[in-house]
Amino acid sequence: MTTGTIVQVAGPVVDVRFDPGQLPRIREVVIAVLDGAERVMEVSQHIGGDVVRCVMLAGSEGLYRGMNVTAPGRTIMVPVGEATLGRMFNVLGDPIDGGEEIGPGTERMSIYRPAPAFSELTPSVEILETGIKVIDLLEPYARGGKIGLFGGAGVGKTVLIQELIHNVAMEHDGYSIFTGVGERSREGNDLWHEMQESGVIGKTALVFGQMNESPGVRMRVPLSGLTMAEYFRDREHRDVLLFIDNIFRFVQAGSEISTLLGRMPSAVGYQPTLAGEMGELQERITSTENGSITSVQAVYVPADDLTDPATATTFSHLDATTVLSRKIVEEGIYPAVDPLESMSRILQADTVGEEHYRTARTVQEILQKYRELQDIIAILGMDELSDADRLTVYRARKIKRFLSQPFHVAEKFTGVSGAYVKLEDTLKGFGAIIAGDMDNVPEAAFYNVGTIDDALAKAKTLGET
Amino acid sequence: MANDEKTPRAYLYSDTEPSEEQTKRLEAFLERTYRQVIPLRWTQSPGIKDGFRLEVGSDVYDWTLEGRVRQFQERLNRIDNSEQSVIPLIRRVVNEFQPTVEREEKGEAIFVGDEIARVRGLPGVQYGEVVEFANGVHGMVQDLREDSVGCVLFGANGDVAEGSIVKRTGRTAGMPVGIRFLGRVVNALGEPIDGKGAIEHDAYRPIEVAAPGILDRSAVNRPLETGILCIDSMFPIGRGQRELIIGDRQTGKTAIAIDTIINQNRRNVICIYCAIGQKASSVAQIAANLEAHGALQHTIIVSACASDPAAEQYIAPYAATALGEHFMNTGRDVLIVYDDLSKHAIAYRALSLLLERSPGREAYPGDVFYLHSRLLERSAHLSEELGGGSMTALPIIETQAGDVSAYIPTNVISITDGQIYLESNLFFSGQRPAVNVGLSVSRVGGAAQTKAMKQSAGSLRIDLAQFREMEAFTQFSSDLDEVTKRQLVYGQGLMRLLRQDQYKPFSQHRMVILLIAALNHTMENIPIDDLLKYREALLDSLEGKYADICRRLDRNGKLLDRDKDLLLKEAKDFAARWLHDGGAAAEAGEQEENADGER
Repeated sequence: MTTGTIVQVAGPVVDVRFDPGQLPRIREVVIAVLDGAERVMEVSQHIGGDVVRCVMLAGSEGLYRGMNVTAPGRTIMVPVGEATLGRMFNVLGDPIDGGEEIGPGTERMSIYRPAPAFSELTPSVEILETGIKVIDLLEPYARGGKIGLFGGAGVGKTVLIQELIHNVAMEHDGYSIFTGVGERSREGNDLWHEMQESGVIGKTALVFGQMNESPGVRMRVPLSGLTMAEYFRDREHRDVLLFIDNIFRFVQAGSEISTLLGRMPSAVGYQPTLAGEMGELQERITSTENGSITSVQAVYVPADDLTDPATATTFSHLDATTVLSRKIVEEGIYPAVDPLESMSRILQADTVGEEHYRTARTVQEILQKYRELQDIIAILGMDELSDADRLTVYRARKIKRFLSQPFHVAEKFTGVSGAYVKLEDTLKGFGAIIAGDMDNVPEAAFYNVGTIDDALAKAKTLGET
Repeated sequence: MANDEKTPRAYLYSDTEPSEEQTKRLEAFLERTYRQVIPLRWTQSPGIKDGFRLEVGSDVYDWTLEGRVRQFQERLNRIDNSEQSVIPLIRRVVNEFQPTVEREEKGEAIFVGDEIARVRGLPGVQYGEVVEFANGVHGMVQDLREDSVGCVLFGANGDVAEGSIVKRTGRTAGMPVGIRFLGRVVNALGEPIDGKGAIEHDAYRPIEVAAPGILDRSAVNRPLETGILCIDSMFPIGRGQRELIIGDRQTGKTAIAIDTIINQNRRNVICIYCAIGQKASSVAQIAANLEAHGALQHTIIVSACASDPAAEQYIAPYAATALGEHFMNTGRDVLIVYDDLSKHAIAYRALSLLLERSPGREAYPGDVFYLHSRLLERSAHLSEELGGGSMTALPIIETQAGDVSAYIPTNVISITDGQIYLESNLFFSGQRPAVNVGLSVSRVGGAAQTKAMKQSAGSLRIDLAQFREMEAFTQFSSDLDEVTKRQLVYGQGLMRLLRQDQYKPFSQHRMVILLIAALNHTMENIPIDDLLKYREALLDSLEGKYADICRRLDRNGKLLDRDKDLLLKEAKDFAARWLHDGGAAAEAGEQEENADGER
């Protein structure tokens, strides 16, 4: 334990001078005590003159030059193992659920760990059913794979991730870790109560560093959650589900303090270390021969710009990407998944089977054709199309509507009860539309229903009114 | 301790030269305090009548009469009267007061310009602390460097000069708060600007506080009625929700916020309107309108106008939020409007660039998201243990040429619990409020809607979204089938019914009646241009006939099936009468019926 004094404060970045030879190492914590409360910061650079540059994991208000701080000679350590289940933590691994403190008997691990060695990795090939039609059909998720949900503001990323928790985490017999990064505190509250009601909380740990917290917190909290997941994978050889909402906030937090750390800004003002920071985190989220981590990461797309450096860097780390689009939201179709932008590495005939592969590709072809025809329709109208094209358009409109689906987690807002659609039902439904068996059913029947049988039932009620 | 200079000098100011014994005592004090021998130099200053002033480096010991009086004043000001009556507290302070030798720190401005000052000295000053310049101008510390301190200035920087003496105040930026602020217009520092005299405050709150944590909250589950049909039916707002109002200039953004404030008359909700970077005359107009509609008495206006320093515009929303929290923490419901956060971001960008922080996307600093996220996270519905109060936020963002995908708009959309998107095309085509149904959303309000509203609004939003898509798809088609045609007419009718004038909030029962009548297709055959006239006639008729149902709806927000059937049947009959007689006749018949005395 060594002590130092604060010499400079610039927002969340604080410089501390130590005695020569007593400097804490990079990534170790430094603690200031203000009004009896600990304020933790993390060493980020040694800048010469026995001064270390630290990033605050709390507010800077109240710090002053000449203030004494201590360095306990360790990094951030979070509790791991069974004791974390059913609990809610902050970035430092302290419980924030009002429950009892984590006892000293609980093992703690540093949030900095190396990525698994190349020789330990195992590729993922088995499909993970989600019960969401558009996902299971067009961009199937792989067990042990990495999944990204991309979308701009307010297109439904969080609702989709919550539906996935509902559908997958409930069925899943392993443990789940939910990490809230820079999102709304209200959502944290809703999630906590929902998990308690559904009982899934007993096999889940939650870690939060939300948008009201300082950038240092938002930059480190994904590591805290990930460390808890890694423990279950590496030590207990389990299959773990890891939900991160929202990984973009991690990059954003890094850019908030980058220039204050004295770095030159890179493209669009991001930190020059963007790719490195992302790679270091993402390479740890993976499946090994010991156990697996299936991760679902929401990725915010700033200014709806998919070429934004943060978004573009994330793309390459994922096995399946689901892209949510504002245009589809405008059409009233939820989930607003863009069927032509989303993709999955395992959508191959030898992985998902010939029938699934063919159905998915045909659906995409029809939608693509419709997209091309849309300009013609807008200028000339439907009347100018050939009969074959007109049929394609009508089928495509039915497919678009059938890709929508009521969600369990949205029940209390919409009043429509949610639907879980099995993969075989999904294939059967779309197969029927493609084959032309549904050409006589009005398109409104396909909107916001589960299986094809539900659509037919809805068609009946439509006919009555 | 101030030992940043190698050999500090001590200067003593007094009217009469100190005796040898006094000099010895002072030198002993200096040696004790600074652990080194510091020579003392005396300067005669006739202004000091009683006592002396001692300056060592950047420390000042004030033992003049004025200094001791000031100490006494500060002690009195620090009385916390939140718990008991103030007289005994004052008596205790007076009895116990003993002037003490207190070290005070001072600094000196070395750079002043562009609303920023850089100060040498003030060794112990805290990050975020308010400092006072010689002529009374205040500043806030935003940058602590090894050799200097950077502050943003509140007030004209012409009054601060190089060499100005700066003093610490020992407190972080704060805002006086209290119940007497209701009905008043104040600036970002809490000072009244409406010429109605000083405001007595109940407490003093820091403007930056941490937002309520995850478990300090409870779910949003009570409605905040805006009185605007298309919002309350499709994008309902709950108490504690943050709902963004977004659109180009002149699309009626402020009008929605003001209507919502007016609709809180007699609903026991305290409203705060925070104007940021607007022209002063608009704010004056808003104050006058609120007064004219009887809404000023439950409203506080916090204004940082376009001509105020960027630093004041930057802190204005935080100060307004501190005011709101004062009420929220005592269990009250608060509505706060930030008009608008685009200008707030611009003010912060100016400050950041002047403090030499590097620019990112659109030249905004990297932490512009955090700027708004930590502000809006402070609006919440508190848990029962914390009193169950709430603060509902309606931030406003101005877009350019309808571009919601720009940086600041998407940032704020990703913070709020939904947005109401206003479109200038709709506005100018007469569809006012100009809400774009497709792009607007309320993520939590549905859970807060009253049962009656939820029951009657049903599928309105989805119907309209599908109507819009159908309209676009069929606009060039000539031969439409009967079903599609009916669907289009129905959709156009719904859009027409959602039109509503400013300052005319609808009560709950009016909305429910309209929704029942419209969504059950009773109005399909009314020509679209007569719809608004028909709407009034229908409402008058049903209000007269079923006054008890209306009262019940307004009181508990429940709609019994029996009542619904009655309302629906009457709506159908009314439509039939209207069509049979032509509009005027139905109205006339209605008046007779009223005269019969349903009540």
